[in-house]
Amino acid sequence: MKTYLIEIKLNGEWQKAEVTAKETLLEVLRNKLGATEVKNGCGKGDCGSCAVIFNGKAVNSCLTLALQANGKEVTTLKGIGTEDRPHPLQKSFVQHGAIQCGFCTAGMIVSAKALLDRNSKPSRDVIREAISGNLCRCTGYKKIINAIQGGALESKL
Amino acid sequence: MITVNTRILKAEFEYFTPNTIQEALHLLDQYGSDANVIAGGTDLLVQMKNEVISPSHLINIMKISEMSFIKAEEGWLRIGAATKWHEVVEFCAKDRKYTALYEASCSLGKVQVRNMGTIGGNLCTASPAADSAPALLVFNSQVKLTSAQGERIINLEDFFKGVNLTGMAPNELMTEIQIPSIHNGMGSAFMKITRVGADISKISCAVALERQGDICASCKIAMGAVASVPMRIDQANRIVIGKKVDASLVEEMGKKVSEEINPITDIRSTAEYRRKTAAILLKDVFWKAWHRAGEDR
Ligand SMILES: Cc1cc2nc3c(=O)[nH]c(=O)nc-3n(C[C@H](O)[C@H](O)[C@H](O)COP(=O)(O)OP(=O)(O)OC[C@H]3O[C@@H](n4cnc5c(N)ncnc54)[C@H](O)[C@@H]3O)c2cc1C
Ligand code: FES
Ligand code: FES
Repeated sequence: MKTYLIEIKLNGEWQKAEVTAKETLLEVLRNKLGATEVKNGCGKGDCGSCAVIFNGKAVNSCLTLALQANGKEVTTLKGIGTEDRPHPLQKSFVQHGAIQCGFCTAGMIVSAKALLDRNSKPSRDVIREAISGNLCRCTGYKKIINAIQGGALESKL
Repeated sequence: MITVNTRILKAEFEYFTPNTIQEALHLLDQYGSDANVIAGGTDLLVQMKNEVISPSHLINIMKISEMSFIKAEEGWLRIGAATKWHEVVEFCAKDRKYTALYEASCSLGKVQVRNMGTIGGNLCTASPAADSAPALLVFNSQVKLTSAQGERIINLEDFFKGVNLTGMAPNELMTEIQIPSIHNGMGSAFMKITRVGADISKISCAVALERQGDICASCKIAMGAVASVPMRIDQANRIVIGKKVDASLVEEMGKKVSEEINPITDIRSTAEYRRKTAAILLKDVFWKAWHRAGEDR
């Protein structure tokens, strides 16, 4: 089996991994680079739980080949904020009760961060559009939208 | 029933990343029907995970910078086949002329899909529900197909041959989409009906027309998910051409559209639903385009 050595700038640090052509970015992030904050949901672009920021844009890592990410920058939830140093968006999700089971949260925050990077004061409709590729089976979205609005306000302070 | 695991790609394949069209064409010539082009991968990887296809070679075209561009020149809007949807959306939002294409692009998939998926990929998958197809059809668009042996330009209408079937040879690459320029007095619109917000169309419709006062000088209609290919409607539109437009005429055109289409029943809708909705959707889209054509630009 032919293998390739790829390099990805993951959350600001260059990391190497040996991959085969059929491995997705999602598999390599989770299984080879320890980034298990990226969730493995549907595998076909429907749920958004695997969302990462790829060259500045939110994409589904389950529909990206690891080889397509060679030499590129990838940001996951942990690159946005950690438990010790949470991003205002993450704090806002907690404060607004926007997390229930939590499976969708990583992808939601990644999509929300990609939005705030372009638009620091999004309307509710713009937020809805930005998370339209992220499914949540628990919260009913209202609290998530509140949390993103709250996070946007905090990020600016 | 056989269940597939959509979390993994089962079969290995060889992967190439050419930097120029020439290199890609050389690879296609060499591997032809054993190879697939991969652009954004949002259709292809889903098909591979579902084990619908399993190519032994993938040729990634996203490093070919000469395939990603949007240029307005000499009577044409030219879009490189590997241009991503978010770029088309951004261009159309500024340009404001190709309204039907703008509305189709905005409705295509979700943010993540528009950040990866390309315009050429949407056409080459040849889904009857491809959202860009009706919008591009009503503008009389054409596509440029290139192979190591040369290039040819064909009307988009002649490109689609059936569900997931195109007139492209295995060694051909779609390099460009060409849309004739829009002039004053033209108006267009696109709408689709879906089960939930961001979804594949149950039925879609685009209209582009020219208006002279109350007279409809020309009218092109195309629909998605109403036949085995995205379809130009060539009878119903004649009802309004050259006429003073009123509600009853548009009503009649809607009825005629329902007769002209050839829908099937599938997981998204029944044929009966599609016929009934087609008439109403056409009316809504027509009036939107009509009012836009009347606006001063
Ligand atoms: C969650 C989700 C939602 C979606 N929603 C929509 C929707 O609402 N509307 C819609 O129309 N589509 C939708 N799609 C389908 C898909 O995203 C689009 O069709 C997209 O434009 C495909 O582009 P791509 O670059 O990803 O194509 P790829 O998957 O890379 O390629 C698709 C096919 O075209 C071929 N190909 C690609 N480029 C070329 C080229 N230049 N020359 C020759 N062959 C080529 C490939 O070999 C492959 O067979 C959705 C997909 C997903 C996963
Ligand atoms: S796991 Fe990628 S979108 Fe669902
Ligand atoms: S919190 Fe459970 S899926 Fe969103």
